Amino acid sequence: MSVREDIFWVACPKCGEKFYCDVQLRHGLIKLMCPKCHHRFLDSESPQIIE
Amino acid sequence: MSKDLRSYLAELEQHWPDASLRIGREVDPREFHVSAVLQHLENRGDQRVVRFHKSRDLEGRPTDFSLAYNLFVTRELCARAIGLAPADAKMPLSLEFSRREAKRIEPEIVPPSRAPVKEVVRTSRDVDLSRVPMFRYHEQDIGFYLTMVAVMKDSEENFYDVSFCKNLYVSPKRLTVSLQRKLHKHLLNIVEKNEERDRETPVAMVIGHHPAFYLGAGALTTFGNDDYGTIGSFLDEPVRLTPSETLGEDFLVPADAEMIVEGIIPPHSAEIENPFGEFSRYYQPQVAVPYVDVTAITFRRDAIVQGIFPGHPGHFNLGSIPKEGSLYREIKRVFPGVQAVHMPHSGVGRYSCYVSIKKRREEDGKLVGTVPHVFTNQLQFVVVVDDDVDVFNEQEVIWAAVTRARFDKDINFMKGMPRSDRVIIDATVPFNEPFPRKAVVPREALEACVLEEWIDHGKAVGAAPSARKGKHVGS
Repeated sequence: MSVREDIFWVACPKCGEKFYCDVQLRHGLIKLMCPKCHHRFLDSESPQIIE
Repeated sequence: MSKDLRSYLAELEQHWPDASLRIGREVDPREFHVSAVLQHLENRGDQRVVRFHKSRDLEGRPTDFSLAYNLFVTRELCARAIGLAPADAKMPLSLEFSRREAKRIEPEIVPPSRAPVKEVVRTSRDVDLSRVPMFRYHEQDIGFYLTMVAVMKDSEENFYDVSFCKNLYVSPKRLTVSLQRKLHKHLLNIVEKNEERDRETPVAMVIGHHPAFYLGAGALTTFGNDDYGTIGSFLDEPVRLTPSETLGEDFLVPADAEMIVEGIIPPHSAEIENPFGEFSRYYQPQVAVPYVDVTAITFRRDAIVQGIFPGHPGHFNLGSIPKEGSLYREIKRVFPGVQAVHMPHSGVGRYSCYVSIKKRREEDGKLVGTVPHVFTNQLQFVVVVDDDVDVFNEQEVIWAAVTRARFDKDINFMKGMPRSDRVIIDATVPFNEPFPRKAVVPREALEACVLEEWIDHGKAVGAAPSARKGKHVGS
C-alpha cells in the first residue's frame, strides 16, 4: 500500500459524512458503507463525489 | 513448557518488571478506551507492554478476557522476544531476524486434549463473535477489528501460510479477511487458487501467542514456504499444532494460542471494509474484500486477546525489522562495504531506508541507494551515509544529508515507478572535492573518561536557592 492510492471521495446521502473509497468501487454494484451511520448506498446515490 | 503469550508475559514481569504496565479499569470497545490509553502513553514516551485486565465485549457485556498490547512497541522488546539482549536491538536484531528466516524447526503435532486453546470450544449455534473484545482505534474506523494473523493451507502443495491480516466484525458469525492485493499476496494466492476451482478456503485467525510467533509470521518468506517451520525458528522450538475443530483433522492450528477463530471463505465472496487507520497513519480507503463465515471459536478460559495499535510504533517495527536484515544481505551481495540498514519510524517502518557504507569509490552512495528500491516495493526514499553516521539515529542521518549532499547532483530519482518516482539521496562525503572534517571528541579522552566517576551526586554546585536569595547575577 502506498499513501497515494487511487481513491475517490464520497458523501453519505443519509448523514453527510465524507470518506474515501478505492477506485475499484466506483460505478460498482456493491454498496458502500458510511463509517459514521453505517448506511449502505451505491456511489451513484451520493450527493457529492470528488475524483 | 511450550512458549506462549502468558509464559512470555510472566517472564517479562519477573525479569524486566519495568517493561509492562497494568490497566485495572474495565475497557469498553464502543468507547475507544484502548486507543485513548495507548495514545496517551505514546504521547508521554511510555513504551511499555500494556495489559488491560478487564474488557467488555462488543455489546458492552463484561467478559473473562484480558488484553495485551504494545508487545512490539520497541526494538528492545522485539529483541527480547527472540532471546536477544536489549543491547542487541539495532543491527544485530535485524541480522538475527534474517538468520532465523533462513532456518526451520518443524512443528510438533499434539492431540486436542493437550492443546490449551481447546479449553473452551464454541461451534455452530454457539459461535458469537460479538462476545469477543475487538476494537476501533481511530475516529473514522468503520467498525471493530481483530489485528493479528490468519493461517491458510495450500492443499495441493501442502504448506501453511501465516500472515498478518486484519478482520472487521460484520456479524456474530462473519468477519472480513482483509486481503489487499498489494499487501497479502500469499494468502490471496491461496484464495484465488481455490476460487479458480470454485472451492472454499478454510482459514484460522490466531489471536494471541508468544511475540516470537508473530515476528516469525512477519518474516519475508517466499510463497510456498511452510510458515509454521519458520515460526519455529523464531520461537527456537517447534510450534505445537493441533487439529482444527471444524476445518478438518488435517488443518492444523497452533495449540498454544490464546484464541483461534476458524471459518470458511466462500469463493468470490465480497464484503465492504475500511476506512481503517493503517500503518501509513492514514485511513485505508473503503474496498471490497473476501469474508469468512466463522465455524468455531476456541480459546483458553481466561484468554488474553492480543492486539496491535495500528499506525503506531509496534506496527512500524513489525514492518521494518523483517526487512532490514534481508536488505542488508541483498546489499552485501553487490557491495561488501555495507555497515547497517534501518527503516525508521518516520517512514512508518516501510517508506524510507537509511544505509551506512564504508565508501571506496565516488559512485558507491548512488549505486547502493538503488538496491533497497529493487527489493521492497513500498519504499519511497533511501538515504546513503558514511559509516561514521548511526543510521538508527535520525538526527545524524538528516545532519549528513543537509551537510554532505549537494542537492543539485546527489538527489537522484528512479523514474517511471508506480504512483511516484523513488528517491535516493547520496549523503556520503564526496571524494572528488575538498571537504571539511567532522569535529569529534578525541577517542582516547572518551575511553579514559568513566562518566559516573565525574558526576557529583551530591548537591549541584552553586544551586542552593537559599544561598542565592535576593541576589541578581551580574548586578
